Amino acid sequence: MAEVGTAEKRPFTAPLSEGYLVVDRKKCSGCMSCMLACSLVHEGKTDLSLSRIQIVQNPWGCFPEDIALAICRQCVNPKCVEACPTEALHVDAANGNTRTVDGSLCDGCQVCIDACPYKPSRMIWHHEKGVAVKCDLCGRAPHWIEKGGPKGKQACVEICPMRAIKLVKEAPEQEGDAGYEVNLRNEHWGWLGFPTD
Amino acid sequence: MGYGYAGKILRLNLSNRSVSTIDTAQYEEWVGGHGLGSAIFWDLCQDKTVSGFDPRNVITIMAGPMAGTLAPGSTRCEMQGIGPQGYPIEWFTRSSFGGRFAPQLKYAGWDGVVIEGKADAPVWINVINDHVTIEDARGLWGLGTRKTQEEIWARVTGNRLNDWQAVGDAYTTQKPAVLCIGQAGEHLSRIATVMHDGGFAAGQGGFGGAWGAKNLKAISVRGTGGIKVADSKALIDTWLWHKTNFQFNVDNPRNEAPIVNFTDYWIINQSPGAVPIAPIWEPCRPKGCQGCPVACSRRMASGLANEAHCFTTNWPYLGIIPPGTQPTWMTPGEWAGGLAEPTDIHGLAKARYRTTDLLNDYGINVYDVFFADVYFYILFLMDAIGPGKAINCDLPFDKWGTEEYKAAYLKMIAYREGVGDDLAEGLERAAERWGRRKDDLESGLLPYPHWGYSEHNDPRAGVDQEYATILGDRDSNDHSFDLPTHGIPRVASISKTEPVISAERLVGILSQKVLPLQGDPLMFDYSDAGLYSASRAKTIAWGRRYARFWKDSVGYCDLLWPNFFNANAPDFSGYTPEGEARFFNAVTGKNISFVDGMEIGRRTWNLDRAVWVLQGRHRDMEVFAPYVYQVPSTRINHFPVYENGQWRYANVAGRALDKDRFEEWKAKYYELEGWDKITGWPTRSTLEPLGLGKVADELQRRGKLGG
Repeated sequence: MAEVGTAEKRPFTAPLSEGYLVVDRKKCSGCMSCMLACSLVHEGKTDLSLSRIQIVQNPWGCFPEDIALAICRQCVNPKCVEACPTEALHVDAANGNTRTVDGSLCDGCQVCIDACPYKPSRMIWHHEKGVAVKCDLCGRAPHWIEKGGPKGKQACVEICPMRAIKLVKEAPEQEGDAGYEVNLRNEHWGWLGFPTD
Repeated sequence: MGYGYAGKILRLNLSNRSVSTIDTAQYEEWVGGHGLGSAIFWDLCQDKTVSGFDPRNVITIMAGPMAGTLAPGSTRCEMQGIGPQGYPIEWFTRSSFGGRFAPQLKYAGWDGVVIEGKADAPVWINVINDHVTIEDARGLWGLGTRKTQEEIWARVTGNRLNDWQAVGDAYTTQKPAVLCIGQAGEHLSRIATVMHDGGFAAGQGGFGGAWGAKNLKAISVRGTGGIKVADSKALIDTWLWHKTNFQFNVDNPRNEAPIVNFTDYWIINQSPGAVPIAPIWEPCRPKGCQGCPVACSRRMASGLANEAHCFTTNWPYLGIIPPGTQPTWMTPGEWAGGLAEPTDIHGLAKARYRTTDLLNDYGINVYDVFFADVYFYILFLMDAIGPGKAINCDLPFDKWGTEEYKAAYLKMIAYREGVGDDLAEGLERAAERWGRRKDDLESGLLPYPHWGYSEHNDPRAGVDQEYATILGDRDSNDHSFDLPTHGIPRVASISKTEPVISAERLVGILSQKVLPLQGDPLMFDYSDAGLYSASRAKTIAWGRRYARFWKDSVGYCDLLWPNFFNANAPDFSGYTPEGEARFFNAVTGKNISFVDGMEIGRRTWNLDRAVWVLQGRHRDMEVFAPYVYQVPSTRINHFPVYENGQWRYANVAGRALDKDRFEEWKAKYYELEGWDKITGWPTRSTLEPLGLGKVADELQRRGKLGG
């Protein structure tokens, strides 16, 4: 019960993103083509440190725990947007409400990187430009010939040879991995001998 | 330096612990990988006749321009130097490995590493972007390859794995990529590998022993930079062209195996996770090298045999599945095709996986221990090996084929204990120590047709790999031709189905694609006549040029490139020769054609040839072991043959090579290459137009220039 004279902190709210990336961790082959594609369309070069999607893996790990896919969740209550002191991090109405960094307003304080509740943080430090960057669903990817954003295509989805990344329109569950980790495997995957459950 | 390159090469002299750089642009004409390595070796290795264990041996580890970008199966890393495995001469040789080492090396700002000299105590090299240190490896010496890598990860990252880690002013989530030797390399084994991650190996050549001789335990690389590509739009477009038209669609395949869990069918449709070959016995994922759409290896629910491939996962089958006393190798495909399953399949599979891990942890070349394992068992049946026997050995032969036996066998090799000391020399040298080499090469009991390396394919059947080997330096391990020509009828016979494409159509596709030697289907005729034809000379020449440039220098993986036949394409026509240059040009901004690349490959092949000539190569040495000419093959091997005006797949078992005809064939091949027919040495008129005048001068100084 709140004490007299204090206000309960309401969760920060923002207009819902019109698109969300979901992944099938059991289908991923750990090839990191998505990371290469992401950095290519955003930076014009392949650079794992600047990829908005991160894959961490352990060569000797036990399937499926050997891989973790770190994708931005375009959170319903985006802590990164909430934490940003300069409003560089904002809800981009022109790009389907993706949570986006305006680099011209970012002063490089890195508060957002710590504010992201997930590990590894979905906020990416662009060490060359001294600003934070994040997944914009390719809505503002300068080297992407396709139309990006929630109504367009995303480089990671298009490139993934295992078809293990998908764009959905409805906000997945915001607790844990539920909703963001999905099963994208059908009977053809099973025919190869791999698990489909 | 241009797009696709880091711009500099790391040069390490372990004797005086100096660190310097070579500007990659100095060697740009060689493009990358193997070409870079050969050119640098030529310049820096002053005496090319020394042993691989000699401190004067120069080892190069070179990435290609595509590594770390986004081109399918383009992340191979090439290791070269004098390889201790070669016999009777330790030829200048090569090995390559996949994974993510080459990309990390480039992200750290390096196109390659050159290692000279010998450290006075065990060292490991720590590369973090531009910061390079030579570290004390006494605490790592004695560890297997897994513990070595895990220890280095802990030291470099401060144990902060799986999260962002600061590296200077940048961050990365990625573990350092480590290349290292196990106990076999430390004990100067001639069949020791250099390992990376779970199962990526520079396997053939004995480079693990060469590292051990330099007191070099590991190289760790960590980079937070990127690779600029010339045209990222074109690169992504080309990837999507490849994905749409040629890649196996895991959700809706165009061409699917006729049997569930039939991994051999990968040869037809490039489906993922298949190159451990054995059927899938436990939940797992396909695992790909960085940027690879095929993802040929696996990671398992048990965590065992992760990232291992092919023979490393299949040798443990020998004697385990099916249980029996005959040293025959039942292919998993045949087994999946209806043979009875053993009662404890999962227990047996786990035993197999543990053996695979042990092999990779010690860092031993599976190709040699596989053949030695069969050889030992036959000697045991002949009463020639055992306690107090001609070969005194206390291995528990009553348990041959079991995990326990294999563990004892591997340990003996890794630590050079008992006859393991002989086996660590490689089987051919071991047989010589036991006084058996000559007789067993006559009978074929020792199936080592060339240079201290075992058969890969049967040299009397699909001769391409073996011909390439005898004209080269090591098991050529090049599957350009045999995957389609042999793989397609083999898969059909295992699954009792019709071949997916007729022999005539297949050779039609192949012969259209082998630019600039296109238009001659007889290049792919494996009938008796086809083994000695002028067309066969073209086959071998094409294969060597392609391998030397597109694979070994550019970095394209043997598994995906070249791609002649492709079951995911409606007309079965693969992405060679279009894909090679399309990806290459998108990355580098150069404008080379497929044929331009083949010419660079010819140039590199000639430079390598010159090194071998300086090492003592002569035409008279390029002769197979006697059994190849005397003992007909017994293995069933289907290949396309052209007889009586008709193409068909036929079993070519039951023949030996004709020695005189092979010698005549060699003359045809030398003529095609522009080498002296008497000596096999390159001539000035061949070398100079290739820009290799200084190489011709050196050969002439040594009295070894072809006339």
